[in-house]
Amino acid sequence: MSDLSGRDDELAQHFRDGDEHALRIAYDRYGSAVFHLATRLLPNRADAEDVTQATFVAAWLGRGTFDPDRGGMLSWLLGIARRKAIDRMRAAARETRVTDTVRALPEPPPVDESPERVLDRLIVADELARLPVEQRRTLELAFYDDLTHPQISAVTGMPLGTVKSHIRRGMASLRRRWEVDGATPGPRSAGTTRILG
Amino acid sequence: MQHLDPDRLVLLAFSDSPADDEAVHLSECAGCRAEIDALKHVTELGSETQELRDLPPPPDRVWTGIAAEVAKAEAAPAPVVDLTAVRRSGRRRMPRWAGPVVSAAAAAVLAVAGTVTVIRWMDRPAAPDVTASATLEPLKGVPDTARGDARVLSGAALEVDVRNLPLTPGHYEIWLIDPEDITKMQAIGAVPQGTDAVQLPIPPGTDLNRYRLVDVSAEPNDGNSAHSGNSLLRGTLTS
Repeated sequence: MSDLSGRDDELAQHFRDGDEHALRIAYDRYGSAVFHLATRLLPNRADAEDVTQATFVAAWLGRGTFDPDRGGMLSWLLGIARRKAIDRMRAAARETRVTDTVRALPEPPPVDESPERVLDRLIVADELARLPVEQRRTLELAFYDDLTHPQISAVTGMPLGTVKSHIRRGMASLRRRWEVDGATPGPRSAGTTRILG
Repeated sequence: MQHLDPDRLVLLAFSDSPADDEAVHLSECAGCRAEIDALKHVTELGSETQELRDLPPPPDRVWTGIAAEVAKAEAAPAPVVDLTAVRRSGRRRMPRWAGPVVSAAAAAVLAVAGTVTVIRWMDRPAAPDVTASATLEPLKGVPDTARGDARVLSGAALEVDVRNLPLTPGHYEIWLIDPEDITKMQAIGAVPQGTDAVQLPIPPGTDLNRYRLVDVSAEPNDGNSAHSGNSLLRGTLTS
C-alpha cells in the first residue's frame, strides 16, 4: 500500500476501484479538513461528527461518481460535506419551527462566513502544505508574519530575487488549485462572475 | 505602458501600493486588475490558513461509525432497487412465453457470432423472482478462469457475479446488447474492482427479448461513455 501514501491521484484511483485501504487513507488525509468544515457550519459538535461520518460513507458508496477531471478528492469530499451540513442545518431549522413555537427567532448561524469561504480556505491550506518547502516557508512568512519580500530575504538569508521567485511560483500554485478545487466559481463553471474583495 | 510584471502583480496583491504609472495602467487594464484581484483573494485565504495547519482529527468514534456503516452496506449487495416493491407491482418484463423465443434466438446468435461458447440451460434452481439468467463466458484473449453469472430479477434488476476478471486500470461495465444489431446497446452500470456481485436496475422500458446479450467490458476511466470494444465476458439471457 506504500504507493497510496503519497500522490492524490493514485489514492483516488484505488478509492474508485473499491480498495478499502484507500478509504482509510483518504480518511486519515482528509478527515480533519471535513470535520473542520462541519464544525464551522454546525453549532452542535455531535452533528458535525455525524456529518463527517456520513460524508465518508456517502463518498465510499458513491465512489463511482468521483470524476478526477472535475477536481481533486479533497474538493469532492468537502463538497459532499457541505451539502450534508446544509441539509442538516435546514432540518434543524424545520424542527425548530415545528417544535418551538415560543421562540420567535431561529438559532443564529454558528459562523458569520459562507461555507464556500471555509471550503476555499481548506483547499488553499492543503495546497500550501504540498508546496516545495522553500516556497511554503517564504509564503508563510508573508502570510502569517506580514513580512515584506526584503524582510523575508533578511530573515531567511535568501537573495531577494530567490524570495520573489518562490513567492511568485507558490502563489501561482495556490491560485491554480483554488480555481480548480475551490467552491467560489472558478474557470470550470463558465458564465459566473467571481466577486473579489 | 505594457502589462505589469508578474512579480509586481504579486507584490501589489500583498501590500504594495501601485506607483503612479502603474495606477494609470491599472485604471485602463481590466486584465491586470483581474490578476491582482485574484491574487489578492488568494493571499487573503492564505493568510487565514495558519489555524488550519494542524487540524485535530475527528474523534475515533467517527471512523468506527464509518467502518460499521460501510461493512453493513457492503454486506447487503447494493440495494439499488426495491425488489419487494417491484414484485408487488407485478411488473414482469419477460413474459413466460418468451423463453422458447429467446432461446431460439440465442441459438442463432451462437451460430452467427461464435462468441458465446456454451449456453448452460438454467444450471441452478431459479429463485422465484429470477426471470432470466445467463452464464457469462470469457471471450477470446481473456483468461479461461474468468467467469460470471447474470440473473434478471423480476424483470427489473440485473444481478451479476463475476470471478477472476483480468485487472484493468479502469473499471468493468455491464451492458445489455441486441445480438441482432450489436451496435444497439445499453450501459447498465459498473462493477467496482474488488467486488464480486453487483445488482443494477434495468432501465425501465428495456426490451429484454431484444437486449438479451449480457456483456462485461473493461472501460478506461476516460470519461468516454461509449463501449470500449474490450469485452471480457458475454452470455445470453434465457428464461
